[in-house]
Amino acid sequence: MNRQIRQLAVGIMACYVVLFVALNYWQVGRKPELDARFDNTRQVLREFNRPRGPIVTADGQVAAVSFPTAPGEPYDFRREYPTGDLLSDITGYYTFAFGSTQVERMYGDVLTGTTTEQQVRGLADLLGGDVGTTGTVELAIRNDAQEAAQFLLGGRTGSITVIEPATGAIRAMYSNPTYDPNTFVNADFDVAQAAITELQNADGNPLLAQAYQERFMPGSTFKVVTTGIALESGLVTPDSVFENEREWVPPQTNDPIQNYNGSLCGGDLPTVFARSCNIPFAQMSTLLGPEAMVGGVSAWGIGEELPIDLPRPAASTFGDTENLAQELPLLAIRGFGQSEVQMVPLHMAMVAATVANGGRMMEPYAVQATYDQAGRVLDRTSPEVWKTPISPATAEIERQFMIGVAERGTASCCIALEGGIPVAAKTGTAELGDPTNPDLSHAWIVAFAPADAPRYAVSVVLTDVQSTADVAATGGRLAGPLAKGMLDFLLTGPGSQPISPSTVPPSTVPGDGP
Amino acid sequence: MTALDETELDVVAESPLARSRRTTELTLLVMAALITGAAYTITALGTNAEIPPGIVVFVGILLGLLLCAHVVVRLVARGADGTLLPLAALLHGIGFVMITRLDDELAGLQATWSLVAIVAFVATMLIVQRATDLARYSWLFFFGGAFLLLLPLAPGLGVNINGARIWVSLGPINFQPGEFAKIALAIFFASYLADRRELIAASTWKVGPLHLPEPRYIAPIVMAWGFAVVVMVFQRDLGSSLLFFTLFVVMMWVATERVSYLLIGTVLFGAAAYFSWTQFTHVQTRVDIWLDPWADPLDRGYQIIQSLYGLADGGITGTGLGRGNPDQVPEAQNDFIFSSIGEEWGLLGASAVLMAFVLLVGAGLRIALRTDRTFEKLLAVGLTTIVGIQGFIIIAGVIKVVPLTGITLPFVSYGGSSLVANYILLALLIRLSDSSARRLRELPDDPTPSERWKAWRLTRRLRREKRRAVA
Repeated sequence: MNRQIRQLAVGIMACYVVLFVALNYWQVGRKPELDARFDNTRQVLREFNRPRGPIVTADGQVAAVSFPTAPGEPYDFRREYPTGDLLSDITGYYTFAFGSTQVERMYGDVLTGTTTEQQVRGLADLLGGDVGTTGTVELAIRNDAQEAAQFLLGGRTGSITVIEPATGAIRAMYSNPTYDPNTFVNADFDVAQAAITELQNADGNPLLAQAYQERFMPGSTFKVVTTGIALESGLVTPDSVFENEREWVPPQTNDPIQNYNGSLCGGDLPTVFARSCNIPFAQMSTLLGPEAMVGGVSAWGIGEELPIDLPRPAASTFGDTENLAQELPLLAIRGFGQSEVQMVPLHMAMVAATVANGGRMMEPYAVQATYDQAGRVLDRTSPEVWKTPISPATAEIERQFMIGVAERGTASCCIALEGGIPVAAKTGTAELGDPTNPDLSHAWIVAFAPADAPRYAVSVVLTDVQSTADVAATGGRLAGPLAKGMLDFLLTGPGSQPISPSTVPPSTVPGDGP
Repeated sequence: MTALDETELDVVAESPLARSRRTTELTLLVMAALITGAAYTITALGTNAEIPPGIVVFVGILLGLLLCAHVVVRLVARGADGTLLPLAALLHGIGFVMITRLDDELAGLQATWSLVAIVAFVATMLIVQRATDLARYSWLFFFGGAFLLLLPLAPGLGVNINGARIWVSLGPINFQPGEFAKIALAIFFASYLADRRELIAASTWKVGPLHLPEPRYIAPIVMAWGFAVVVMVFQRDLGSSLLFFTLFVVMMWVATERVSYLLIGTVLFGAAAYFSWTQFTHVQTRVDIWLDPWADPLDRGYQIIQSLYGLADGGITGTGLGRGNPDQVPEAQNDFIFSSIGEEWGLLGASAVLMAFVLLVGAGLRIALRTDRTFEKLLAVGLTTIVGIQGFIIIAGVIKVVPLTGITLPFVSYGGSSLVANYILLALLIRLSDSSARRLRELPDDPTPSERWKAWRLTRRLRREKRRAVA
C-alpha cells in the first residue's frame, strides 16, 4: 500500500503545482491585461478608499476635506467641498466613476500620502506610534479674495484673476459659470452621471476653469504685447508720433482699418496707448512684419500652454501664422488684439504682471505648499521666471503708458483706487464680429497696483457683453470697476489685512473634521 | 506482558524524540500566533490606519487557545508529528485575519466558532485515545455519516442556500452536516476496507471479460457512489460530490493496490458528471462560466471575474493587508477567501497558503506510510485526502482551473461546521501520528488514562479476590 500512498502524495502535490502555475498565470502573466480591462475598478477603488488629506486656501479656509462614511456605505470616505462653487475651479472634484480634476488630480498622490517621501516619513512615524500619511495641499489662492471676485462678477459670465507680479502666486482666480462639486461627488452613480452630463452640455463650460483653461479674443489689452515687441525691436520709442487719422488702408487690401467707433485718433505713443487708438498698433504690427511679430508674441509665451501647476492649461494663440506674409491685413488687425488672437485670462494677468515686474514673466502657481500629516512642509513652491519678453527699460516705459491709461485714458473713468493709490491699466473691448449681433464683445481690463511698487496684477474679462443705449460695452466701463473693486479690496479694504501666517493645520485626520 | 503492575504504571518514561517534537510544535505554534497577530495588526493599519486597541488581548487569547491544544497534545499524544497543529493554526489564523478584514460581524462569529473548534479538537484528543477504537464502531459511523449526509434533504430541516441544499437549520443554529459526514464515512471506509481489502482485491466474480469482486464486497462501494450522486443531484453540491467520490476512489485504490479502481472511479464519476451536465441547468451554468466568465460579466460571471481582477491587482507582493478591495467579490469570506488572500497577500502569500496545504498533506501521508496497521494507514490516507482535495477543488475553482463548486477552504474559510469538522479531522490525524510513533517504539506505549482506570479496577478486583481466597 505504501507505493500507492507515495503515488497519492505525488498526485496531490501535482495538483498543487497546477494551482501554483495557475496563480502565476493570473497574478503575473495576465496581470497587465486584467489590470487594464475597462470594467476592472480595483485600482481606482483602492485609490478611492484611501484617506485623503484636505485642500486649504492661503488664508486657512478648508476647500476640500474627507470624512469617513458610516459602515456599509459603498466607499470608505466622503469628499466634501465646504466652499461650494467658490473654489471648484481650483480644487476640481474627486469622484469614483468620473475621475478627478485640478488640484484633486495633480496632487492626488500628496493628498493620499503615496509620494515616496511621505511613505518614508510615514514609516518612521509609525515606529513612533503615529500612523497615516495623508498630506495637505495649501493653495496660493486666498478665500477672501476669491469671495470678492465672485461678488464683483455678480453672476455675469467672465473671470477675475489676481496674481502677484513678483512671484506668480495666484491669489484669486474665479470664473462664471462654475459648479458646486458637492452636487455629485458623493452621489450615486446615476445621479452623478446625470449631473456631470448636464454640466458638460451646459453653456459656457462650467466644468472648465475659464480663467486658465479657455481663451478669448483680448481686444486692446493685447496692445501691451504689441507695444512691448515694437519697443524691444526699436521700431518705436515713447516719442514716436502717429498721424491723427480716422482710417488706414493696410497693404494688400482696399478695406480700411478704423479706430474704435470710427473715431479720429493719433498723437505720440503714450497718447495713442492711453486712448487705445487701433491704427497705430496695426501699423506697428505691419511694419514689424510677420516674422518679428510671430517671434515677438512667442517671447510672451503665446502659443505655449501656461506653465501652471494645474492640469490641462490652455495656450494663448496669435492665430494661424502659415501665410501671414500674404495676409498683411490680418497681421495688422491682430496687432490690436482682434481677429484670430485669443488670450487666456490668466495669461493677460501675467502680461500685466510682466510690465509690473520689470519684464520678467513668472510661472503662475495655484499651490504654494504641501504638508505631510504632521504638518511638516513637503514642498514649498519657489517662484520661477518663465519668460523675459521685455527688458526692464521697456517694462518701465510700458508701466508709464499703463499709468497714463488709468489716469487720463480709457480706464480713467473707472479705476481710480481708494486712498489715491497709483494704478496702471490697459482696457480692451474685443469686437466678436458676430454678423447677427455686431455689438457683442468681450470687455477686458488688465491692471496692477500700486503702480510704483506693484503688489497685485489683475485681469478681468466679461464675456459676451453688449452695448446698451446708455453704456457702451467697453472694457474700461464694464471691467474697470471690477478691477478697481478687486484692487481696493486687496490694498485698502478687508483684504489688505495681513493674512494669518501659514499655520497650516496637520492634515485633518478623518473623523476629527469640523 | 504483565504491564498491569502498579509500580510500573507510575513510571512516566521520558522520550527525547517526543520531547523534541513537542518543542517543535510549541515553537511553530508561537510563530503561527505571532504571524497571525502581526497580520491582524497590519490589516487594521491598512484599513483604518490604527493599531487595533485589543491587539495584546487578541494575541493573548489566540496563544491561549493554541497552548490549550498544545498542552492536550503533550499530555495525550506526545509522540505525534509536531507540524500538523501549527500548520492548521497558521491557515486558521490567516483565514481569521481575512474574515475580520472582510466583515466584523462574521469575525465575531468566527471567533466563537474557533473556540468551539478548539474544544472539539481537545475533546476528540481526549475521547479517541486509541485510533483502533474507531474501527470498532465502523457501522455506526457508516449509518451516522449516511444520516448526516442525507439530513439536509429532510423536509423542514434542510435549507436551500445559494441553490445548494446542504444546510440544516435547527432553531438558531445552521450547520452543514456534510462536513462531519465526510469524516464519518472516511472512518467507515478505512475500517471496512482494512477488513476486506484482500477479498475485494481478489476479484473472483467474473462477468464476461471483467474480473470483479464478489457483489457483496463491492456493495458498500456502489452505495458510496450512490451517495455522491445523491449529493450532486439532490443537494446540487458539485464540490462535495467530487470530494466524496475522490475520497472513496482513492481509499479503494490504496487499499486494493489496483489502479483499475482509479480508472473505474474516474469513468463512473465522469459519466455521472456528464449526465448532470446534460440534465441540470445549474451544472451547465457552472461550466459555461468556467469556460468564459466574460460572456456575462455583470451577473453570472461577476464573482469569478472579480476574483481574477483581485488576484491580478495583488500581483506578486499583493496590495498590502487591508489595502485591497476583496469585498468586491461576493462571498469573499467563504468560497472565495483564497482570492482575497491572493489579492492582499499577493502571489507570495497565496503560495504560502498552498505550501501549508502541501505540507499538511505531506505530514498526513507520512503518518500513513509510518504506521503498520492497515486501518490506520487507510484512515490517514482518507483524512489527508479530504483536506488536500477539498483545498484543491475550491482553490482551483476560484482561480478558474476547474469549474467553481462551492465548498469551503479547510481551516481558512468562514464557517463553523467546516472549522469544527476540520479540527476534529486534525485531532484524528494527530492521534494516528502518535500511535504510529508508539508502534515504532519512538516512545513507550504507555496505557491511556481509560486503560489505566480499567487496569486499576482490575487489580483491585484481583486483590479483593486474592484476599477473599486467603480468607
